Amino acid sequence: MKIVGAAACAAGIAHTYIAKAKLVTAAENAGHEIHIETQGTIGIRDNLTQKDIEDADIVVIVADIKISGMDRFKGKKTVEVPTDLVIKSPKNFIKKLESIIK
Amino acid sequence: MNLSKILDDRIICVDMLADNKDEAITILSEKLKDACYIDDVESFKKDIYYRESLGVTGIGDYVAIPHGKSDSVKRIGIAIGKLKHEIEWETLDDKGVKIVFLFAVSNNNEFAENHLMLLAEIASKLGSEEAIDKLLKAKSAGDIKNVFIEKE
Repeated sequence: MKIVGAAACAAGIAHTYIAKAKLVTAAENAGHEIHIETQGTIGIRDNLTQKDIEDADIVVIVADIKISGMDRFKGKKTVEVPTDLVIKSPKNFIKKLESIIK
Repeated sequence: MNLSKILDDRIICVDMLADNKDEAITILSEKLKDACYIDDVESFKKDIYYRESLGVTGIGDYVAIPHGKSDSVKRIGIAIGKLKHEIEWETLDDKGVKIVFLFAVSNNNEFAENHLMLLAEIASKLGSEEAIDKLLKAKSAGDIKNVFIEKE
C-alpha cells in the first residue's frame, strides 16, 4: 500500500526524526511505499505534494503536537498516533495499518 | 551532509561513570560547558528537565536522547556519553540506558539551520537498529563517530 503522512514532536529536535526513520524502515521492509513529511525546528522537510496525498491509501499523523496543513488530508483515511508508539513498535503499527486497509 | 562537522571528540565520552540519570546529564552538561557549547550548566539542565517533564526520552534499546531548547546554548551540538554501567531512566521498553545523547539547541536558531539539519540526521540514524547495535558495541569516541559517518 501507499502510506503518506507527517511527523512532529514537542521540541521538534529528535523524536520526529527517529519516529520517521523507524516508520519508513518498517514500511519498506513490509513492501509498502511511504513518504513522511517532517515538521520540526528546522521547518517542514520532505514536503508532501497534493499528488502524493491523492495517491495514498492511508495517511498517518505521527505527532505529539498539532501539525500544520491537516486540511490537506480531508476525506482520506487517517490514523493519528503519538511518536512514542511508532518509536516503540513500528512493525506493529504497520501491521495495524495493513489491517485497516484490508 | 557531513556529520563529522557536528561530532566533536571533546563532548563524546566512553566509559562514563554515572550512577543515575541526573549524574549522566550533569557530566555531559559540564562537558558542553568546558567545550563552550553552553555558558551555564544549571540553566541548561533546567531546560533539559523541562523537556523531560513533557515525555519519555528513553527511546528503547538502551538509548536516551535528552534534549531541549535553552538560552544557555551558544553553539548547537550533541554530547554523547557511553556509560560504563547501565542506569535507570524512563524508557519506552522499560529497559535501562547505556548510551546518552544530549542535544544542545538554542532558542534562537536563525543562523543555525545547517547544524539543526545535522542534528535531525543524527536523530534519524538513532532510528536504525543496526546503528544502535554498533553504538552499544563502540569502545572509543572514534567507534561512535564512525556509526554516523560511515555511510555518507
